[in-house]
Amino acid sequence: MNAVEARHLTKAFGTRKAVDDVSFALPEGAFLSIFGPNGAGKTTLLRVLSTLARPSSGEASVAGIDLKEKPDEARAAIGMISHAPMLYPDLTAEENLLFYAQLYGVEDPQARVSELLEAVGLSHRRLDPVRTFSRGMTQRVSIARALVHDPRVVFLDEPYSGLDPHAADIFDQLIESARADREDRAFIMVSHDLAKGFSMCTHALVLARGRVVTYAPKEELDFDEFSQLYRDTVGMGVA
Amino acid sequence: MVQPPSTFAQYRVLLAKDLRQEFRTREMLTSMGIYALLVIIVYGAALALIARDVDIVTMGGGLLWALIVFTSLLGLGRSFAHEKEQGCMEGILLVPLDRSVVFLAKATANILFMLAVEIIAVPLFYFFFMTGQPAAATLPAIVAPLIVGTIGMAGIGTMLSTITMNTRAKDVMLAVLFIPLIYPLLYACVTATTAAITGNEFWMDFYIMPLVLACGYDVVMLLVCWVLYDFVVSA
Repeated sequence: MNAVEARHLTKAFGTRKAVDDVSFALPEGAFLSIFGPNGAGKTTLLRVLSTLARPSSGEASVAGIDLKEKPDEARAAIGMISHAPMLYPDLTAEENLLFYAQLYGVEDPQARVSELLEAVGLSHRRLDPVRTFSRGMTQRVSIARALVHDPRVVFLDEPYSGLDPHAADIFDQLIESARADREDRAFIMVSHDLAKGFSMCTHALVLARGRVVTYAPKEELDFDEFSQLYRDTVGMGVA
Repeated sequence: MVQPPSTFAQYRVLLAKDLRQEFRTREMLTSMGIYALLVIIVYGAALALIARDVDIVTMGGGLLWALIVFTSLLGLGRSFAHEKEQGCMEGILLVPLDRSVVFLAKATANILFMLAVEIIAVPLFYFFFMTGQPAAATLPAIVAPLIVGTIGMAGIGTMLSTITMNTRAKDVMLAVLFIPLIYPLLYACVTATTAAITGNEFWMDFYIMPLVLACGYDVVMLLVCWVLYDFVVSA
């Protein structure tokens, strides 16, 4: 079964198509990196796939669940990490995670939250308000939030923005550990960092003006050729 | 590992989060409380000049509701600030839940915050402007229009606050949409409150009927908000 499938997916705002006839199928356990220039429709595509926005036409499924027919079931299979942490700054790390765990209906939320805080190395700060955390620490709590219900697909929308190199390294390790935790868990990451995105992925997709320019497994791609294709695409997006 | 919780359980979790956050920061309560006090001070300054010619008892209902409306606007405008600032609204919308529950929890929190401010502001208003005035025996009956009006204003305000959350001039937009929409409710509540303060002899016409209309307005508007909320947050 495919982890994520998009069939002729289109999202239009008025007459402008932010996502235009996008189709792809991502197998379970895969890591897809989506590249493209600003305004290419990457974030909009992620928002449609994560049920935050409704498609204008086309179909999509996550973990085999159709987004239009069973959006709530699909949401239970989705985790999302973006540059906005989706955490309440005045609540503690533990309160934030408990809030989401209880909303999702996680069995024994306290144990799950403790386990996740331990995994992201923040159990010693569990009672501190999130507003006292550095950007890197906040993003670590954000990973714990996204994984609290053990999702089968995790979307990452430019998760490295604002992270210093050390924080980015810790973030990489946590994502690797989230991949190892569950073999069928798939990831879709939107990134501007070509080298990092390419090194992490098993599949790569380039988007420009809302359309898929290329989509292929990494083993079929040569990094230098792919970089050249990306540079050409960025030029196209700017023009 | 995950057992979808009941709608009521999710409502409780959302409401508890709003209350915990407010009791920790006291952002809404403090700003609304201070604003209410300032309005009372302004009333005092404005009315002091013409106090002898003003029948404050007859005007009491209107003045009180003007205070409540402007104070509420301030609080309602802030009610989604946290959800927006850190992307928390999206975090909630990613959860498999009936999105109307988000509305219900937020509206309940707003009702509680507005009532908390009214518990302080209404006695203050009475103390400053109505002590020494002949009080009607029906004065305690102002509680009913206050509760009915607060529920309606909080419900409608929560909906409009969601709509205006991402607009540029959100505070102005909220006021522009809010006041016309609550006008029928406001009119009914001012009438009923004034009747309770003055002890109007036409009790049925000036208290019961407006109160029934206000209740009807609340029911219709809250149902509309409940039904439309999913569409509003999705759009």
